[in-house]
Amino acid sequence: MTNSAIATDNLSKSYGSTLALDALSLEVAAGEVFGLLGHNGAGKTTTVNVLTTLLEPTYGNAEVAGHSVTADAMGVRRSIGYLPENVQFYDNLTLMENLRFFAELSGLRRPDQRIRDVLRILDFEGRDRQRLGTFSKGMRQRVGIAQAILHAPSVLFLDEPTSGLDPEGVRTLRETIVRLNSEFGMTIFMNTHLLSEVTKTCTSIGILRGGTLVHHNTLAKTLADFPGEDSLEEIYFQLESERVS
Amino acid sequence: MNTFLVSARHEMLNTRRARTAHILLIVFIGMVIASSVIGWVTNQTVTGVYNKVVADGLTTAPNPFAGVSPLYYARNAVIYVLLIGSLMAIVLGVQATVRDRKASTVDLVLSRPVATPARLLGQLAGLAVVLAAVIGISFSVSWLIFSIINGAPLGWGDTGRVIAFGLLSWVLLTSFALLGMLTGLRSKQQTTALLVPFVIWSAVAFVLPQIGTAARPVSLLNPVPALASTGGYFDVVSAFTGPLSLTEQFKRASSIILQDPNVTGEATSSILILLAFLVIMTVVVVVTPRNRMRSGLNE
Amino acid sequence: MSSTWVIASKELLDLRRDRLFAVLIGFLAIATLISVGVAAAAFRTELDAYNLYVQQLAASGSTTPPAEPQLFPLQLLRGGVEYLEILGALFAIVLGYGTVAKEKYRGTLQLLLSRPVGRFAIPAGKVLGLAVVWLVVVAVLTLLTTLAILVIGNAPLQGIDLVRILIAAVVAWVYLVFWSSLAIGITALSPRLSTGLIVSIVVWLAFVLIIPQIGDTMDPDNQVPGGLFATLQIQKPDELKVLANFAAFDGIRNGLEVSSITKHFERLSFAFLGIKDKYNQLPLGLVWADMWGYAITLAAATLASVTFAVGATTRRNLQRKIS
Repeated sequence: MTNSAIATDNLSKSYGSTLALDALSLEVAAGEVFGLLGHNGAGKTTTVNVLTTLLEPTYGNAEVAGHSVTADAMGVRRSIGYLPENVQFYDNLTLMENLRFFAELSGLRRPDQRIRDVLRILDFEGRDRQRLGTFSKGMRQRVGIAQAILHAPSVLFLDEPTSGLDPEGVRTLRETIVRLNSEFGMTIFMNTHLLSEVTKTCTSIGILRGGTLVHHNTLAKTLADFPGEDSLEEIYFQLESERVS
Repeated sequence: MNTFLVSARHEMLNTRRARTAHILLIVFIGMVIASSVIGWVTNQTVTGVYNKVVADGLTTAPNPFAGVSPLYYARNAVIYVLLIGSLMAIVLGVQATVRDRKASTVDLVLSRPVATPARLLGQLAGLAVVLAAVIGISFSVSWLIFSIINGAPLGWGDTGRVIAFGLLSWVLLTSFALLGMLTGLRSKQQTTALLVPFVIWSAVAFVLPQIGTAARPVSLLNPVPALASTGGYFDVVSAFTGPLSLTEQFKRASSIILQDPNVTGEATSSILILLAFLVIMTVVVVVTPRNRMRSGLNE
Repeated sequence: MSSTWVIASKELLDLRRDRLFAVLIGFLAIATLISVGVAAAAFRTELDAYNLYVQQLAASGSTTPPAEPQLFPLQLLRGGVEYLEILGALFAIVLGYGTVAKEKYRGTLQLLLSRPVGRFAIPAGKVLGLAVVWLVVVAVLTLLTTLAILVIGNAPLQGIDLVRILIAAVVAWVYLVFWSSLAIGITALSPRLSTGLIVSIVVWLAFVLIIPQIGDTMDPDNQVPGGLFATLQIQKPDELKVLANFAAFDGIRNGLEVSSITKHFERLSFAFLGIKDKYNQLPLGLVWADMWGYAITLAAATLASVTFAVGATTRRNLQRKIS
């Protein structure tokens, strides 16, 4: 495999007789913001789950930050941050207690100062002692980002990070993603349905259709390859209409 | 800080914060303490009954409670450990493993460099510390009450017995906490996770002893272990159901430790059975596969 | 069709397909049948021991055999009544909790409340649904245990025995509706659903297990295995005379016991089934004369519980945020 941040080689995943992911081969260069698009049930979350070692591939392989997801899962886990869709956190614990727990599980010792630094980066100070049960959806998403970057991972996985957010929450999240990428050099792999955010955030995109990668290119080249289409949305629907036909 | 210690500390913190755990802990501590008082009041009354019976010339049998140990007043605590303690431990165990599934934090945990046995053992250790603290507090207060009733602090021998009873209670409660953890990991619904261990507890506490001794369910709520019916069927069946009736084994061992005059024999076999159950349950829980820990929770 | 009955029908349909419900009722049925079988086995063991004793007496030349143990078929139901008392109450609580909780978790609550249903339709429908469920369950359990007495217990039943069994079944149904309704009300009131379930279970612990157990363990006769008075070889009339001198203690003990609705259910069932020696083979009229107070209390408590369920299950309470 290459020196990419993420590289998959014929990665496949079956659930019984259902093939959720079919020979996925892609590379995401270090420092990219990669957006994975696709219809519901296309295999986006399965892809993320395999790359974050939560699921084992049925066949094929993948490397994340130079570690094989099958042979060196622990190495992968040390190198990544992950925010799943709709995570709730521990309502009875304060923000600091929640983050301290995840930081320590990631191997950080005495992480309190690091936690405060991260909260400052995310413009989320002053709530250390508040219980998470009082947080809104948008605030929980920021907590989610915080826990994912505490240990300064080189690769960040975000599964539908804008799900359920209001427009202000979406904009804040976008700015955070851009900042993590530009200031800290994090490679970001993001599943999303929000095509407008993809055009504002991502440097490259992939489109999954029924478990198969039907398109993978930089955003600029994608837009250039479809000169007749005005937006990414129209390009996406054209590719989808090829699926239907 | 390693996964085991982090998980243990996290578990203790969550239990401390959970209001439901507080309700159960207060009820348990309160009832164990109350049981000492109830035991003393009842003993005074029964002694009065015996004296009246002798005075009326109705019996020449010796007083069955002559020379009874001050630990006799702890006998009701045996039942409260069995009833309230076991069910409390089940609830704590279920909450420990259901929490991550409900809050969807299990993926946050498992996407970190965490070995699942260390994670689960750590959670168990946290619960075990909580249970030890609860038992320690309630039995310490009970010791004070026994000493007051006795008119003097309990001697080293009796104190040692109280400690031994506390340790045995901890073994039983930790085992039931493990049962709760197991169903919390494997059930598809939160209600099922809570209810299945209750049903298992009912089977162990009532059905098994009944099959082997013909004891009725309500009589099994008595701290005195059930008198075995003898003869053909019962002799054969009780050989199988006896060791599996963990609650009866606990009652028997506790009664011997607390020097209840109604129970004789050695406590060793009962203690070994309880320890074996604890070890087996620990192994069963700790080998839970990662994908099982990630399975979704419905309601 | 009224909204109440529509909601009740939906509960019935839901539970018919609920695997957990099937497991719970299956366990209850098995435990009850086991108790009949074990009681029958215990009687046969006692009879075998008696026959052996009579043979030994005859061999030693004695001509006056002791009274043969008598089988009273309905006494085989004692264990089953106690299982309903303990486990039936717990399962009734779980069903009551579940009927409210599932609407919240599934998100169907908003679909219900956005329809033109009356204020009381939802809680009344749920109580009615569970009441019908328990009616069916009790009927099935009654049939099974009656068959068990005939087949496993090998004991004949008279017409009057069937009447007694039917009365006990009605008492059991009222008892189970009490617990389901209580759980519905507590769950509706609880801001957190899990708290509602655990509070209901704590109430079950207190009133089904602990309070009756305190009463039992305070009973002087229970201090010795086999009975204190039996150990001291004291007959019943003398036992009663002695205990009369400890009326205050017994008053407190009895007061504790009757504060629990479970004891009312137990005493009613034992009396009508003749499980308690005092009521064994006693005409129903005389049993009723002694027990009507318990019957009224159980009925009143159930009515209060249903009223609580209906009163507590308001739109506002139901729509509180799930956590």
